Amino acid sequence: MSEFNVQQREHGEISVLDLKGYLDAHTAPKLEDAFQDLLAAARFNIIVNCRDLSYISSAGLGVFMAFIEEVRKNEGDIKLTNMTPKVFNVFDLLGFPLLYDITNEEAEAIRKFTEKRK
Amino acid sequence: MARESTEPTPPDTRTYESLFEHQALFDFSKIINSSLDRKFILNHILLTIMGKMVSVKGMVLLGDGADGYVVTMLKGFDGDLLNERVSIDPLPDQLFTLEDLDEGRFPWIRFFRDQQAEVLLPMVITDKPIGFLAFGGRYARKQITPKEKTYFLSLANISATAVEKSRTIEELRQVNRQLDMKLQELNTLFDLSKEFGSLLDAEKQIRLLVLTLMGQAGVHRYMICQQSGPDMRPVASRIDGPEPQTRLLQDLARIKRPFVVDNLVIRNHPELREVLKGIGMQAVVPMQVQGETRGLILLGEKMTKEPFSPENLEFLASLGNLAMISLENTRLFREAIEKQRLEDELMIAREIQKGLLPAVLPAIPGISLAADNISSKQVGGDYYDALKLSETEWVIAIGDVSGKGTPAALLMANLQATIRALVPLKFPLDELTGRVNDLMCENTGGTKFVTFFWGILDAYAGTLRYVNAGHNYPMLIRLDGSVRRLDKGGIILGVMKTEIPYEIETIQLTPGDTLVMFTDGVSEAMDRDWREYGEVQLEGAVRSHKEESADQIIEAVYADVVRHVGGAPQSDDITMMVLKYSG
Repeated sequence: MSEFNVQQREHGEISVLDLKGYLDAHTAPKLEDAFQDLLAAARFNIIVNCRDLSYISSAGLGVFMAFIEEVRKNEGDIKLTNMTPKVFNVFDLLGFPLLYDITNEEAEAIRKFTEKRK
Repeated sequence: MARESTEPTPPDTRTYESLFEHQALFDFSKIINSSLDRKFILNHILLTIMGKMVSVKGMVLLGDGADGYVVTMLKGFDGDLLNERVSIDPLPDQLFTLEDLDEGRFPWIRFFRDQQAEVLLPMVITDKPIGFLAFGGRYARKQITPKEKTYFLSLANISATAVEKSRTIEELRQVNRQLDMKLQELNTLFDLSKEFGSLLDAEKQIRLLVLTLMGQAGVHRYMICQQSGPDMRPVASRIDGPEPQTRLLQDLARIKRPFVVDNLVIRNHPELREVLKGIGMQAVVPMQVQGETRGLILLGEKMTKEPFSPENLEFLASLGNLAMISLENTRLFREAIEKQRLEDELMIAREIQKGLLPAVLPAIPGISLAADNISSKQVGGDYYDALKLSETEWVIAIGDVSGKGTPAALLMANLQATIRALVPLKFPLDELTGRVNDLMCENTGGTKFVTFFWGILDAYAGTLRYVNAGHNYPMLIRLDGSVRRLDKGGIILGVMKTEIPYEIETIQLTPGDTLVMFTDGVSEAMDRDWREYGEVQLEGAVRSHKEESADQIIEAVYADVVRHVGGAPQSDDITMMVLKYSG
C-alpha cells in the first residue's frame, strides 16, 4: 500500500504543504483536498515542500495543473521546493519547470513571496 | 674567437616557436576537453582559429550521419545559414584552401564560395570527417605557410575528438531522457490501471483520468466525453466557452485515430474544426473498446506550447483506451448490481405480498369462496382478504395499491393492518371505510392510493353490505344471466380525507348468484397488439361458466385471459375472488 500524507504549516501569509511519501493516482485526491482547503480559506501563497516526497506520478502532477490557474488568478502562486533529483526529473521530463517556480530551498521561495509583497 | 665568446647563444627561433605552438595546442586541447557542453566547445574552437587566422568569419558544420553536414554555429557569416544542410561529397584527398579546388569535380564548393569562405578545415577522426570548419574574411590575406596549415589542421583534429565526445554524451543524454520518458509513460499506465481496477465509481475514475492527462500532457483545458446511448456527452470539462453540441461531438466519434485539430477535415462539418479551435482544443483522442469509439479526450494547448507529437497522441490513446475499458466495466458492473438489486427488491415485494394474502380462505356455510393472485414480474400490489367477523358474518375485500414493487407491497401491508385493526370494532362499513381512508391519507401523504372494494357477508340472511371505494365494479351474475355491477361507495382510498361519507348498499343474494371481484390486471390484460381483455369478455367468460364452482370459474376465466394475451408479458398483477352463493 502506498503511503502519502500532506501536512500544512503557516508562515505568515504563506501556507506550506509538506508532502511525504508516494504521490500517485491512489493518493492524488489527498493533495487535491489539501489544495481545495487552502483555496476555500483564500490562501493563495502556497509553497509545496517536496523534501520527503519519494515518488510522483502524472496524476500527482495533474493536481498542480488543476489549481495553478485559480491560484494565480488570485495573485498567488504555487512554488515547489526541496525536490529530490528523482522527483525533479519527472517534473522536468513533462516540462513543468517552464510554468512552475521550482527552487532548491524553501527559504528562497519564502523570500520570493515576501519580495513580491513589497 | 667567437668560439670562446661568453655571449649566450641566441635562442633557436624555430625550436622556440615550435615549443610555443605545442604549448598552445596543449592548452587548446585542455580547454575544449574540459567541457561537455558542445556550444562552449564549438565557440572556443571557432574563436581560437579565427584569432590565429586573423579572420572575421567562422562556421562549424557537423555531420548528420549521412554525407550531409549541418551548419551548427557561425560567426560573421549570414545568420540565415544556421541549420542549413550541405552535402560534402566527394571529398578531395587534400583539403585546405578552397581556391585550388575544381567546382566541376566538387560541386558543393559553390556553397562555400558563395559565402566567401576561403579556408575549409576537416575535423577528422580516423579518416572520416565528422565536421568542417570554414573561415573567411581574413584580415591580411597573406599566404598561409605550410607550417601554419599543419598547425590549423592539428587544431581542427584536436577539435574533432572533443566535439565527438560531447556529441556522444549529448546523444546518451537524449537516449536517457527518452528512456526516462518511456518509463514515465509506463509508470503512468501502471499507476492508472492499478487504481482504476480498484475504483468502481465512474466519477472518481474520470477525475483521475483528468488529473493524469493534465499532468502527463501538461494541459489546463480539456473535455472528456462518453458515449451514452446515441449521444457523445461531455462528462468533464474545463474549456473557455460553452460545450459544443452533442451532434458535433458525435461526428468525432467516427474517427478511430487520435489527431491534431489543425489537421481535421470532416466533409460534412467543415465548421467542426473552428468550433474545437474556438474552445481552445488542440488534440482529439478517441477512447476505444474493442475498436469502437466509446469516448473522447479533447485537450487544449500544452503549457510548453509545443505541438502534440504523434508519439504523444499514441500514448494518450493508450491511456484513453485503458480508462475507457475501466469506465465500461464500471458501467456494466453498476448495471448488473442495479439489476440484481431490483430483482432482490422484487423478490422481497413478492414475498411480502404472498405473506399478506390469506393462505386458506375461511369456510362459510352456504357459500363457496375462491381467490387467486398471479403476481406480475414487477409485483403490482394487489390484495384480497376474507375474515370471520362473527358466527354469521364474514368480511371479504379486494384492492389494488398504486405503484409497483416494494413500496406497493408495503402500502398493501399497511392497508391490511388497518383493516384488521378496525374491523373488530364493528363500526358500520361506510363509516369504517371513511376511517380507513383517513388513515391511508395520513400514512401516504396523498401520494399513493388504493382502489378498494369490501363487504360484510351475512351467510344466514344471505345479504352482502358493501362499499366500493373506486374499485373496478364487481359483477354479480344471477342464475338468469342478468348482471348487476356493485358500484356504490365513494372515492378511492388515500387521495383526500373523507368529506363526503361513503355510500353503502345491501344486496340480497339468491341461490346460484356468482359474485366476481377482480382487479384491473384482469380486465386490462393485453395481447401483443395492446388490445385489452376487457370487462365484456370477462363477463362472457363468467356467464358461460356460471353453473360451475367458484374455483372452476376462476380457472376458466384465467384460461380465457391466457388465451387472449397469447404470451404477451403482463405488467400488472392478475387477481380475482369469486363467491358463489348456494343458499
